[in-house]
Amino acid sequence: MRVNGEPYPHRAGLTLHALLRDLGIEPERVAVAVGDDFYPGARVPDRPLEPDDVIEIVRIIGGG
Amino acid sequence: MTDPPLSDPLLLGGRTFTSRLMLGTGKFRDLALMRDVLEVSETQIVTVAIRRVELRSPGHVGLLDALDLCRYQLLPNTAGCRTAEEAVRVARLARAATGVSWVKLEVIADPRWLLPDPVGTLRAAELLVAEGFTVLPYVQPDAVLARALERVGCAAVMPLASPIGTGRGLRTGDLLHTVLDGAGVPTVVDAGLGVPSDAAQALEAGADAVLVNTAIAEARDPVAMARAFALGVRAGRLGYLAGRMAQRACAHPSSPPQGVPRLPDPEQPA
Repeated sequence: MRVNGEPYPHRAGLTLHALLRDLGIEPERVAVAVGDDFYPGARVPDRPLEPDDVIEIVRIIGGG
Repeated sequence: MTDPPLSDPLLLGGRTFTSRLMLGTGKFRDLALMRDVLEVSETQIVTVAIRRVELRSPGHVGLLDALDLCRYQLLPNTAGCRTAEEAVRVARLARAATGVSWVKLEVIADPRWLLPDPVGTLRAAELLVAEGFTVLPYVQPDAVLARALERVGCAAVMPLASPIGTGRGLRTGDLLHTVLDGAGVPTVVDAGLGVPSDAAQALEAGADAVLVNTAIAEARDPVAMARAFALGVRAGRLGYLAGRMAQRACAHPSSPPQGVPRLPDPEQPA
């Protein structure tokens, strides 16, 4: 499993909500992609994660 | 006599705006300063960027918390994307993060000059328009490319004045004219503007709007500079609407040449 470009240890039963909790991330402040599925932070489903999932967790910052 | 209006509406992406100055939100010292700048600039469209959350220190003060989203049309960018595929992915993430389908499309394969990749930009624009995005692509001032982007459904084109962050002004001036001339969608001059007169010149030349970030964020007094850019944009637009005089090769007196109370010419006999 990869999270934001880095390898991340997968464990049996890991879900998206649990991952965000592990990372200390408040879902409403971010957006999440699992593969080609895109979720607003407030509507992140508690879907099970697979060992080969590619996950992006992003936020808005200042930019031009 | 009634004063001529200081602004006429800008129609862009199905919305109407009274300000023709778009602002970037990067490089500001802090969020309070950024808010003050946005306020005095009268801007209604602000760009933001999308970045990965730092997994080791996810806490942050949210930019979105600092922006009154009722007042500003957010324009997320795809800055830093090197390919069409990366840009499309970041646009989708931006839509998920903001709920906004507008995107300032940047596909930049050249890290030194930050020049946009025209082929990748066109391909990404086509895909994003098909997904319902309002696409504003950042481009070199290439009229042929601009027309192609119009044809695939872009809401505007954003030709560069000079490379991003350089503050060198309208170095691409003559080429910009070829994009502005006959454009079927609004043209937003983006990148490289350094001083308010650069913005005024762009609007005078027929640009519909400008986007400014570094020139304000790196000014000694960003709030004053934001106000100055707002005035420059208004002056430029009003000048454009007023219709400039024709240029002449030779001088032409503004005072009548007849009736000057002359002394006798010492070269001529009386």
